[in-house]
Order: sequence, then structure tokens, then C-alpha cells
Amino acid sequence: MRIVEGLKYSKDHEWVKVEGNRATIGITDYAQHSLGDIVFVELPEVGDHIDKDETFGVVESVKAASDIYLPVAGTVEKINEALEAAPELINEDAFENWLICVEMDDSSEYEDLMDATEYEAFCQD
Amino acid sequence: MGDLKRTVLYDNHVKAGATLVDFGGWEMPIQYPHGIVDEHLHTRIKAGIFDVSHMARFIITGKEATAFLQYVLTNNVFALDLLQAQYTMIPNKNGGAIDDAYLYRFYEDRYLLVVNAANADKDWQHLNNEIKAFDAQITDQSAELAMISLQGPEAKNILKKLTGSEFLTEPLKNALGILNYHGAPLLIARTGYTGEPLGFELFAKAEQSPEIWEKLLGLGAMAVGLGARDTLRLEAGLPLYGHELGLDNEGQEIPIFSCPLAKFAVSFAADKGNYLGRAPLREQYCGFKAIMERDFSDLSKLPRIVRSLAITGKGVARAGCKVFKDGREVGVITSATMVPYLKAEGYGLDSKITDEKAMRGIGLALLDGDVEINDPVEVEIRNKRVAAVIVPYHLKSDAPPYARPILYGVEVTRQFESAANYPGKALNLVKKSLDNTHHRQYETINLIPSEQAHSSAVRLLSVMDPSFRYAEHKKTKSFYDYDVFYYQGTAFIDEIEYLLMEEFKQYFNCAEVETRVISGQMANTAVFSALMDYKNRVNRKVEAKRLGYILNNHIIRGGHLSAQPMGALHDYIAVDPRTEKTAVVNFPVEPDNLFKIDVEETKKVITTYRPELIIFGKSMVLHKEPVQEIRQFIDDQKLNAVIMYDMAHVLGLVGDYFQDPFKEGAELVTGSTHKTFFGTQRGVIAGNYDKDDYKYGLWETIETRAFPGSVSNHHLGTMLGLLMAAYEMNYFKDDYQRTVIENAKYFAKALAEAGLDVAGDPQISYTETHQVVVRVGYGIGPEVARRLEESNIIINYQATPEEEGFTASGAIRIGVAEMTRFGFTKAAFKETAELMADVILRKKTVAEDVKKLRSQFTTMKYCFDDEAIAEQLEKLKATL
Repeated sequence: MRIVEGLKYSKDHEWVKVEGNRATIGITDYAQHSLGDIVFVELPEVGDHIDKDETFGVVESVKAASDIYLPVAGTVEKINEALEAAPELINEDAFENWLICVEMDDSSEYEDLMDATEYEAFCQD
Repeated sequence: MGDLKRTVLYDNHVKAGATLVDFGGWEMPIQYPHGIVDEHLHTRIKAGIFDVSHMARFIITGKEATAFLQYVLTNNVFALDLLQAQYTMIPNKNGGAIDDAYLYRFYEDRYLLVVNAANADKDWQHLNNEIKAFDAQITDQSAELAMISLQGPEAKNILKKLTGSEFLTEPLKNALGILNYHGAPLLIARTGYTGEPLGFELFAKAEQSPEIWEKLLGLGAMAVGLGARDTLRLEAGLPLYGHELGLDNEGQEIPIFSCPLAKFAVSFAADKGNYLGRAPLREQYCGFKAIMERDFSDLSKLPRIVRSLAITGKGVARAGCKVFKDGREVGVITSATMVPYLKAEGYGLDSKITDEKAMRGIGLALLDGDVEINDPVEVEIRNKRVAAVIVPYHLKSDAPPYARPILYGVEVTRQFESAANYPGKALNLVKKSLDNTHHRQYETINLIPSEQAHSSAVRLLSVMDPSFRYAEHKKTKSFYDYDVFYYQGTAFIDEIEYLLMEEFKQYFNCAEVETRVISGQMANTAVFSALMDYKNRVNRKVEAKRLGYILNNHIIRGGHLSAQPMGALHDYIAVDPRTEKTAVVNFPVEPDNLFKIDVEETKKVITTYRPELIIFGKSMVLHKEPVQEIRQFIDDQKLNAVIMYDMAHVLGLVGDYFQDPFKEGAELVTGSTHKTFFGTQRGVIAGNYDKDDYKYGLWETIETRAFPGSVSNHHLGTMLGLLMAAYEMNYFKDDYQRTVIENAKYFAKALAEAGLDVAGDPQISYTETHQVVVRVGYGIGPEVARRLEESNIIINYQATPEEEGFTASGAIRIGVAEMTRFGFTKAAFKETAELMADVILRKKTVAEDVKKLRSQFTTMKYCFDDEAIAEQLEKLKATL
């Protein structure tokens, strides 16, 4: 399992990368591995406002559908359209292939998330 | 997962890095590190192995074992011959499924029943309760006998390597075999849960199975977990208990007939007797029949059935999603996900499976009976309606060795260049015909054993004036059976037809000939129709009884299509009410020569089934048929069977060098007149009944089933040509027949010397006919045939008796008749053999060498070519 230093992580196995007030969100390598072959990704519309811990999309594997939750509240600025045609990119590299970018409502929410070390310990529990 | 049960292969799974889950109380691999997609695809293009030891294996024995199974299972156990398996249901008294199961008959005295892991305890209790009323015993052998499923196009090769056994089972679905693995029996079944045309389930001693598992991996199979097992079965449209069978999502029992496989798994045979759930199942069947016949007026007997559905919109459907049609809720998804497939390029036999992966959304749904194939529907996925369509199936397995995905909306189109206007089209047609004739007559070596070139006289006569005419005629009792013609202008053809019959009587040395049938298949149809009519002659006030039993050559052992239930027998063969199968049995073949009928075993079959019709003759034919031996046996046993010899392929070989059917004891001979015979393309029926024979009535029936039964116009042009061909044959046959058989033997030896694997017995130079069969490698017959054609050598690919069907052919079939007619010498056959080895073994293209060789042999032999005839033929040609 791969964990990238410098990112923040949620208990629902999303990663968050922040530049200024903008957060890029994806699912972790641990999540893609547990899901198995990803076959479909459903993402919100640009401009949607999504609350913290609210569902913003679905990642589906052959086995099951998994809701994905936004670890930080915000307004959707960009979605990764490449995933519509090639959802398996997430299996290939979960950190490279992000899901959405949001303009955060409150950047302090970011600080509450786990860092790489904490997340690694969390996964091992 | 402390309380979970583990199969004997648990350590193998852990070692392989499997992700283990709780499945019906068992700790089982859901997937291995390759993942579901790769496991699925590897099974489809190579082979996958599945640990299915978690399923339960029960052995049923005892005097009333069969009666017990007839009572607790829905299928007809009488249909299960030794070394066969059948899909079946364990019904409850309401017509619902306690479980679905497979019943195997490896041994005479015991049955093996395999049931689902999650239902095993429930099944065990139920069966033990019911068995009390029978003198039968049930034991649980799940622990002693492990079960591994090996599925995919490579499965057969892998299993051969594992066991060192060349012969596994008959190449038919549900066939069983007992092999030996290091001193213990290894039971194998051609069954599976993937839709693969090649798949085996292995029952191995538990102690041996971890080693077998590892060896299978070493031989190229990939371990497949329950995840891909589910996507594979979903793609194949196979039911899963708890989804398509058992209880639905609202806890209501799903009727067994809602599951499309019920059609094959439920029997109402009178001999089966009453059984659990029979009456409600009968009601369900009436409902099912109404739905299939599109009568939707009353769906109460069977409200819903399981259909396949393809998702055309965006989203992944899952079990439980509601299905809507025109806004109305019509049912629910029972299983669905996205499954992978590999894209294919090209069409038909030339289509190639690429390594480009793709995914598609497919499902099974329990839908109202009036929802039909091609209906557009919507599936509710997370409150969104997503477009879908009802499809007939998701996968087809009728082109082994591959199972191929059937994608919704794919249409195969064909386009040929064509001129813009009709005069242009007409000119093109003539030009192309000239090119084609030139190519096939001067540039190619024609080795298809069912084909023959015709002499100029035969060809020309076939298009002369009678070819536009009619000459219906019928023997009339009032005129002492003198033929009465319906039209004027028929005197010439009357004479021709009379002469033709006389020539054939002389050729066969028989009493009667019917020449009006225009193909060999029609000859057989007319004979079967006549036999059935004759059988029912005493009482015509009731529905006519069909024929049965019939003894014939199985199609996989070279039996002719026109003597099979799928061919000309179709409308004349009975169904045995006890087994519910067509009343056909096949000639047993010799264990070490599958091309040859085993006479002693055949006698046993005849004694058991007492067939009313015995049909000799094959389309893949290397040996004489044992007509004389069987005639002798029939007469000794005082059995009243008609012996018929369908000589289509060997009609031109009748006589001293091959077989004399009537002398040997055949009663009827049929055939086509254009394979080893000299053409034209027609059929013939010959019988050896004298007018005072009590069976002469059968012959008269054959005549009336020819006309008016089969033809009105009997194609007079080719009849004229055929008379010339019959003259040629009767005049030249001694030399021709001897040379053909000599050439076939010589060619077979030359092919073997050139390094090719010639089938048959080397002791007799491989063949006693005009045919030679060469094995080229499993499944690559079609490709080899195509490459030979690129080198101007025309043969046909052929499935041998071990192979599953024509697309899996591993052989080519060759005939020497046509090239013998063109005067091919031994040296020419030798050179052809070497050129073929160049193409087959060394992948060379030898078209130019073939053209050069062929150009030396363009003059037809065994025909009349003196000056007087040539001069008259010129005059005939001038009339065109």
C-alpha cells in the first residue's frame, strides 16, 4: 500500500492536497485496492456546493459501489473528466488521478485531517 | 473469521495472496492479486481455475437411488446415460427451488449430486428426510473429494498435460470421464459455471488436490476467485441461488420456471412419475409457455421471468435496482455489474480477439412476462433512471474454443463492389464468372472430397432445352404402373429418365432406382418420409408415429448431416418418452480408431435398442462400413431393421474396389451424384425390392415421397447431364475407382512422409476411400484451410472425433477424386503433399508453384472425347 507524504487523509480513505484555498481530492491507494477493478466514477457538476462529509460522488468497482465523501466543505471548481472514459486510471495511480477540485469554505477543516503517518496507523488498525 | 470452514485448498489461496471473505460460512478467495478483470479475461482467452470445493458433494446409492432422485429432483434421471451429467433443481412442494444442483453419473451404481455451499445443510436435511421412504442411501463425500473447476479455451490442453491422457471425455457438454492421477481416480466432467465451451470440473482425492491446483497454475491456468466467478456466470446468463432462484428481494419465492434454464431442468415425463412440486411446476410451465407464445392475457401462472438486460446509459446497475418500462415498474435487477471483455476485429471465422480491454454493463432481471427482447427499459440507479435494453443473451459459446461477448447493437454488414447500373452489373457478373471458372479449373488444386468437376459433355447437356421444362409424371395403377406425364413435349425427357434409371440399376446392381430427387439430402428426406408413412399405413386416422430407434453415425465421428435429427431426420424422428431425447443411438467406434465402427459393440447396441432403421455412411469416411456383418447379425437375430447406406461421399466408388452395398445386404442406398460420382449435382435413391417382395409397398411409397412429396419440377437439365455422367461412370469405373483409391493411399503416405500428421490406420495406408484426414493442431483447422487457399490449394477444415465443433477443428479433410479425374499422377500428388507441408508446417505461400503444377493437368479423363462427340458438342454449344 502506498501513502504519499505531504497529503492529508480522511477516515473514508480520501486524500486531500491543498494549494491556497483550493483542495484537490482523490481516493487513496488503500481504497482503490480494497475496491478492486474500478469500472465507473460519478462526479458532481462544476459549481455544486457540497458540505463537509457529504457524498459527492460514487466510485464503482466490479464488486460494489462506494460513496465518496467530501472531507472539506466547498464549491466544485473542476472535475477530472478523464475518469469518465477511463475509470481504471484510479487503479493505476490513485494519487495521480484525482477526482475533484474544490474552493474550500473554511480551510481550517483541512487541518483536522490525518497526516500520512496517522493515516498509515489508521489503515493498520 | 475464526468459525469459518476452509477447503483443502486454503493454504494454496493464502500462498497466492488471495483476498479471503466469508462466503456461505466458508473462508473463500474473492479475488487474487491479478484482480477480477484479469481473472475474468484470462478465463475467456486462456484458462481459469476455481476452488469449488466449498460446494457439497453427496453420493446416492441403493436399489431405489434412481426412484429417489426422480422424486426429489426436477430433471429426468432416465435421460442420464452413464458418463453424463445434467443440471437439475431441488424443488420444494410449491414449485420453488430449495437449491439448484448438478447430477453426475460416473458409475452405474451411484450418483453424485453437487449442491451450493450456502444451501448444503438445508439440502442435506431435506434429502435425508425424503430418502426415508426409499430403499436408498445418501452419504456426504464433500471432505474426501475436492472439486476444482478448470475453464477456458486452454482447459483441454492443460488437462491433457496434467493427466498425460490424450482422451478426456466425449467432446460434448455434460460428458464425463474417469482418468487416473497418480494411482487415484480423477473424475472429470465437461461442466462449469462460466459459459465457456471448453470447461471441466475435476473431482480429485482431497489429499491430491493442493498438488493438482499448483500444477494447473504451472500449466498456464490463472487462479480465479468468487468475484470473477460471478462476472463470468453473469455474462453466461447462468442463475445464482439467492438472486435468480430462491427468494426474491421482497422475500417471495421465485417460481422455478422464472429461470430460463428451467426449460432444460424440469421434466414432466410420464415415466418420471410424481415428484415434489410437480403440480405447481406444471402450472408454471403453462404460464411460461404462454409467455413464450406471446400470450400475455393472464400472467397469474407465472408473473415474471428472468431476462438478460444490457445497460446502454451511464451507471452501474446492481441487484435490487428497479426496472421501468414506459414509466411503469416492471421488475427488479437480480444480478448486475460491469464485466470486462476483449474487443474483436474482423468478421466471422477471421475475427481476431485483440488484447484491448473494455467494460460493459450487463445484468439479469426478474421482469413481468410481457417485457420482451429488444424492449427499451430504464433501471433506477441511485434515484436516476438509466437507459437499458432487454437482450437475448450476453455471450455465445457456439464457436468453440472461445466464448464470445455479444454486444448490444453490433450489426455485421457485408459490402461488395457493384456497378452503378444494370448493364454494368450484368457485364461484371459475366466477367467475374469467367475469372472464377478459369481460376478453379486451371489455377487451383481442388481437394474438397464432396466436390467433383464435370466433363464438357455433362456441363453442356445440363443447360440444354430440357432445363427450362417440366415433366411431372406418376405411375398409375390403372395402366399397370405405366408412367403418366402431365404435360406435352416430354417424350425426350421420358426417354432420358428411363435410360438414367437403367444405368443406375446396372451401376448398383439393384431392382429399383428413383432419380427425381435433386440432392442427396432430399434423397434422405424422401426415404425417411416414406419409412414413416409406410410405418403408419395401417391406421391413418391417428397422428402418424415417427421413426425410432434409429442407429446412425454420430456427427462428431463423421456422421453425415443429412442423417441427423438436426438434418433430414428432423421431422421424422421420434422422441423417446422415457428419456425425452430423440430416439437415435450411434454406432460405437473402436477405442483406438475413432474413425471405424466397432462391430461387436454395435451388435450390443442393436440388441438393446432394436432399431427400426440402421443408417450407414459418413461425410468423414476413411473405412468401409460393416454392412455385411450387421446384415448377418440382423438376420440371425430375426430383427426387422431396414439397412440403409447413405453413400453420398462414396457413390462413385460402388463396386469391387470399395463396397457393393446391395450384395452386402443394404436394402436402400441414397446419395448425391457429384462427389465421387461424375455429377451433376443431384440425388439418387436405389432399392433392392422386387415387385413380388412384401416390402415393395415401401418402394412405391419412396417414389411418391419423391414426387409429389419432394419435387414438382425435378430439374430436367441436370438430369440430362447426369445420364452422360452415368455413361462415363459405367464405362470408366474400373480404372477410375481403382486409381482414386490408389491415389488416396499414396497421397496419405506422401503427406505423412512430408511430416504431416495423417489420421487413420497406417497399416492400410490410412484410408480405404477417396478421403484423407490430416491433423493440423487443435482449433487451427480454419486458419490452415485459409492459408492453403491463399496458396491455391482448396480443402476444407474438419473437426475430428475428439473436437467440439467446426470452429474448433484441428484437422483438414482432403479428397483425391477431382484431381484424379484431371489425371494427377503419383508424382503430382507427391509434389502437392510437399507443397501442403510447406504451407502448413513452414507457413510458406506457394501459390505460384501450385499454379504451375495444376497447369499441367487441365484435361479431364474418364470421359468421352473422341472427334465425333467433340463435333456434336460444338453444335450444341452453338445453340446457346
